[in-house]
Amino acid sequence: MLLKVGFTPARVGVDSWALGLYRLTGQLRSHQFGVAHLGTVDHMVRVNLELEGHLIDSLILPKVLDLLVAAGVEYRLTDVTIGRTATDLSRVLIEMDVPVGVDLDPLLEELQVHGANLCVERDCALAVADTDGVLPSGFYSTTNLQTAVRVDGRWIEVIGPEMDCAVVVSADRQLARTVPMHRIRRGDLVVIGREGVRVDAPDRPRGVSAFEFMGSDVSSEKPQALLVRRVADRLRAVREAGLKVLVVAGPAVIHTGGGEDLARLVADGWVDVLFAGNGFATHDIESNVFGTSLGVSLDAGTQTEGGHSNHLRVINEVRRLGSIAATIDAGYVTKGVMYECIRRGVPFVLAGSVRDDGPLPDTITDVVEAADRMRELVPGVGAALMLASTLHAIATGNLLPASVETFCVDINMAVSTKLSDRGSQQALGIVTDVGLFLRRLAGELL
Amino acid sequence: MCPPDHFEVAYEINPWMHTEVAVDGDLARAQWERLVSALTEAGAVIEWLSPVRGLPDLVFTANAGLVDGHVYVPARFKNPERQPETEHDTAWFLDHQFTVKPLPEGLVLEGAGDALPFAARGRPPVLVAGYRIRSDVRAHAVVSRLLGVAVRSVELVDPRLYHLDLAFCPLDARRALVVWAAFDHYGRKVVADLVPEPIELLPEEAFAFVGNSVVVGDVIIMPTCPVRVGRLLEGAGFSIEVCDVSEFIKAGGACRCLTLALDVRLSLG
Repeated sequence: MLLKVGFTPARVGVDSWALGLYRLTGQLRSHQFGVAHLGTVDHMVRVNLELEGHLIDSLILPKVLDLLVAAGVEYRLTDVTIGRTATDLSRVLIEMDVPVGVDLDPLLEELQVHGANLCVERDCALAVADTDGVLPSGFYSTTNLQTAVRVDGRWIEVIGPEMDCAVVVSADRQLARTVPMHRIRRGDLVVIGREGVRVDAPDRPRGVSAFEFMGSDVSSEKPQALLVRRVADRLRAVREAGLKVLVVAGPAVIHTGGGEDLARLVADGWVDVLFAGNGFATHDIESNVFGTSLGVSLDAGTQTEGGHSNHLRVINEVRRLGSIAATIDAGYVTKGVMYECIRRGVPFVLAGSVRDDGPLPDTITDVVEAADRMRELVPGVGAALMLASTLHAIATGNLLPASVETFCVDINMAVSTKLSDRGSQQALGIVTDVGLFLRRLAGELL
Repeated sequence: MCPPDHFEVAYEINPWMHTEVAVDGDLARAQWERLVSALTEAGAVIEWLSPVRGLPDLVFTANAGLVDGHVYVPARFKNPERQPETEHDTAWFLDHQFTVKPLPEGLVLEGAGDALPFAARGRPPVLVAGYRIRSDVRAHAVVSRLLGVAVRSVELVDPRLYHLDLAFCPLDARRALVVWAAFDHYGRKVVADLVPEPIELLPEEAFAFVGNSVVVGDVIIMPTCPVRVGRLLEGAGFSIEVCDVSEFIKAGGACRCLTLALDVRLSLG
């Protein structure tokens, strides 16, 4: 932004006193207003400065930024309001990350001369919930971004970033976590308003990385083989980082013949959590018992006689035996995605909906309970593959922190757009046939 | 203006002041009266502030505050030695039906000594305001709000040129005397952008207080005028009146510091 309005940091002319700033030694005074220890990067402290005045015409802003550069400080302009007229003041909030152990005082004193003051930070306001499942009025509504709240002068990272939740501070005021509305209990300390709440926007990866070459977040115009290879690379990286891969699968995975490849991926340990619905599990079992998906032969692609009722017969058998796991014990199901999940102990949540046939005994028909079960499995997830699923993808997107790399594979571009519009802006869309995608992904990973 | 009845160097709050250097009271009086008559002859009408015993620097009325039409913003002095002046300055402005708009406590701004308007032809007036040595940059933002005037904040980097009026002297809609060495890199750019035809004063000229001059119409009343500068100014159509104020320079002020312009209109529209 700065460069766009025509300023360039001065390479000369930073007066000699600025040179003294290189010699930053001593201990940081962490009691200083506006100084917060970063939970995620514990060797840095974050300092927020506010600069107000005639910053542009008087060249105060470039001067202050030059000072920060000269002092070797990493900074970001978190809020910039430029005065419209000659008498309007401009206001800039500067966030800097300074290594622990650096004596900030000389720099802060110098910055103060130019009108940059430490933002006086205040604790977040807390209100006590007076009814189970009901938030106090004015509750802070979360984003899916990493969030911290200031309690008793200390910044606390909020556990489990999830959008559209409240932040509850523990009774001992040491921890804070996101809590969905229905899980609020009377007596919970709920964060109110925006003050004392800090949201860290994720840095978009720079340089050559995952999808840097994609101009748009949704792509139907990119070489698919390359995209699949990149996804495979990311999944490997996530697994190497000790994080989990979550797959959200819709029935089209089975209809397009992708079930076998997905089952192979599960069998080989590439899937750590599976979210799906009644339909996916049903057609997965149907395809492995009858060779059809919704009655269509997966080999011949033709409607089989009486095939339209195959999935009902499958559901009926599962219901007779009591669970999907029981069908495996009984030898009724001998392969497939659900089979591999159960065999490998991969946790799955089948969330029901109003149009489900049966449903399968494993399908959770209480959607609030289903969402809670999904929520329990989210911690530790590093990447999510949304495979030809709209409703389950969006539901999962609602639960995931923005830090989870999310790939949305669908033949319909609208699904990825919708996911982004609902707040999962980290989602990268890949517009392709999911069966072909899984074939190629299995080829890359197996 | 304020008669120098009680003028002396009683303390040291700038590099020019040395309490061991005595002020010749009679000479000071004579120099001051010569300045008064030069101003009057140039067409100025002078109002008087009564001197106060124990406030030797009250004579430097430039620091009394900022004037904009009938609005007066009292100075907030950095040094405790001068802080009692404000009470007397404010009383004068109240007596003369000015609206007083004080600066918030905790900010310092030493009046017109650190803030001078420059109105380039065809452009709205801009208050050029110095900071770091005697005034706070944050006070500039407040002045801008109080008076509705555009402000350019420039950092003063030489303690010998501790007030803006030692380094910058607006002459007309195109010209100003400018001591570039008084400003940092950014301040120089700001002034260069604002003043179409700056007339540079060299550091040695600045240290002779050449920049601390008073402009009345096309007459410039200067404490001293080097030949080089005189030629430039006369070439630009000004006539020059030299008033030696050497006794006052012992306290770090010259012609301009001894006056406060009351016919100032800063606000836009």
